[in-house]
Amino acid sequence: MKRLIDFKNFTKGIWKENPVLYLMLGLCPLLAISGSVSDSIGMGIAFTFVLVCSNIIISLIRRFVPAHVRIPVFIVIIATFVTITDYSVAAFSPQLHKNLGVFLPLIVVNCIVLGRAEAFASKNNVINSFLDGLGMGIGFTIIIVFMAVIREGIGNGTIMGRPVFPENYKPFLFMILPPGAFLVIGFLIALKNTIKGRRKC
Amino acid sequence: MKRKEIIGGIIVLFLVTSLCGFLLAEVYKATSPKIEKQKRLEEEKLNKEIFPEGEKFEKVKKGDVEYFVVYDKKKRKIGRIYTIKSLGYGGYIYLKVGIDNNFKIKGVKILQHNETPGLGAKITEDKFLNQFKNIGIENLYLKKDNPKGKIDSITGATISSRAVVNGIRKLMEKIKNEKID
Amino acid sequence: MLNEQNLFLIFLSAFLVNNILLIKFLGLCSFFGISSDIKASVGMGLAVIFVMVMACSVSWVVYHYILAPFHLEFLRTLTFILTIASLVQFEEIFIRKKAPALYKSLGIYLPLITTNCAILGVAFLGIDYKLTFIQNLLYSFGASCGYCLSILLFAGIREKLSTAPIPENLKGIPIAFITASLMSLAFLGFKGLFKL
Repeated sequence: MKRLIDFKNFTKGIWKENPVLYLMLGLCPLLAISGSVSDSIGMGIAFTFVLVCSNIIISLIRRFVPAHVRIPVFIVIIATFVTITDYSVAAFSPQLHKNLGVFLPLIVVNCIVLGRAEAFASKNNVINSFLDGLGMGIGFTIIIVFMAVIREGIGNGTIMGRPVFPENYKPFLFMILPPGAFLVIGFLIALKNTIKGRRKC
Repeated sequence: MKRKEIIGGIIVLFLVTSLCGFLLAEVYKATSPKIEKQKRLEEEKLNKEIFPEGEKFEKVKKGDVEYFVVYDKKKRKIGRIYTIKSLGYGGYIYLKVGIDNNFKIKGVKILQHNETPGLGAKITEDKFLNQFKNIGIENLYLKKDNPKGKIDSITGATISSRAVVNGIRKLMEKIKNEKID
Repeated sequence: MLNEQNLFLIFLSAFLVNNILLIKFLGLCSFFGISSDIKASVGMGLAVIFVMVMACSVSWVVYHYILAPFHLEFLRTLTFILTIASLVQFEEIFIRKKAPALYKSLGIYLPLITTNCAILGVAFLGIDYKLTFIQNLLYSFGASCGYCLSILLFAGIREKLSTAPIPENLKGIPIAFITASLMSLAFLGFKGLFKL
């Protein structure tokens, strides 16, 4: 029996069904942006905004959309919010906009956003859809920022531009470059596997 | 039955798309002046960093070359700022270079590049760029490329350094005959 | 960024140096899902080449002849994704009718490609880099070939990996990522290629 407000929808996005670690979605922006902590925070916020807004709207109109046009309609709505976010970021923080580059408009084909619209928002009420979007968005943000802390910290010796190691630290450049991204996410998932495995015992 | 469904679906899609298009147009109208202003401010900031005494920067187009003519507060022409691109290690490097009335470099700013972080990316650092101040075309080489050269290349980033140096020198050779009045 | 007149350089850059998958991080979702099987990867790779070249060319035309003249650039995201989605639909119907054998091998991957960020990403980059139509054509062709190459290499390695002794927690996805990391490192080595 579906409850009117179920907070589990919020918490599941953060760990149990974390979109990145469990559902393996949204990899492109994750790996591309996680080289810098400040960019990652920006990306996380933009992403969460799009996810929450589109979930809400799609949930609101879910009874009026015939089944065979639902995917195009979802895409149009998501694309609209993505464009709004794109131009808002460009207006208020051109540096962030330049750093996020093509990955900001690419949120529209991000599997997480379309996936949640299809799997959840089109079948649940507005409040739960809002919580679902918020949870998934925050779950994504946590992972991308965590990765960025590792990559920027080890790869550049800084976090958000401020040095975190003593003067003579030689940055391990590899971490900031593409191969480093793949490596970090690989080990993160292995870590998740280990934790999950331990729980089973 | 099926036809009605399809038409109903198309109507919904059309409505949603039109609404969204309208919404986007409004957002665009609201944000584009701010975006334009940011771009102008950014460009002015860079121009001012190259020519601190410059008060007015006038955009001029001669043939297919665009540049800024710099005027100080007494309305005298004190130099020009060019934007050029030069092929580096990871693609093109875009930079601004200011040239004063004595045909010497006033300053260099890197706009965009795709060089390796930690190595070629160091071309954006003041430590490298300050070397260009007051250099004339005859000394515009890497020390290792030419005895007359006065620019030290970045350790481990010769190609990136050379791209910057050669790019500016090519520009100066091209405009040599159009001396600043 | 790439205004070079030399068209071959554009192709080479998209194919190897700035490989969209391993260096630019576009198209990853389907990459990890598909590449555990070589046959499936060939199918996906070819489908991507087919769709990307067409989609990017059409998007370029739409942007420069419809959006730009009417100052509707802000509708870029919306129109591109709708263009790509409809194009994929048409291509699917077209292939199903005209080349049923091809449809059998490509068929299932075509709809999947709509949400492949690589297609939309390359379409955007063609505009951002201010390419001409021919440059854009070569860029999308190079990028999709690069994608195909990466996915094939990856599938080959993963098939070998499936019989190798790997620690329990690294099995499956994690070792795939670590492999991708090494491949990405190898492709980074192509960076100095411009100077040739």
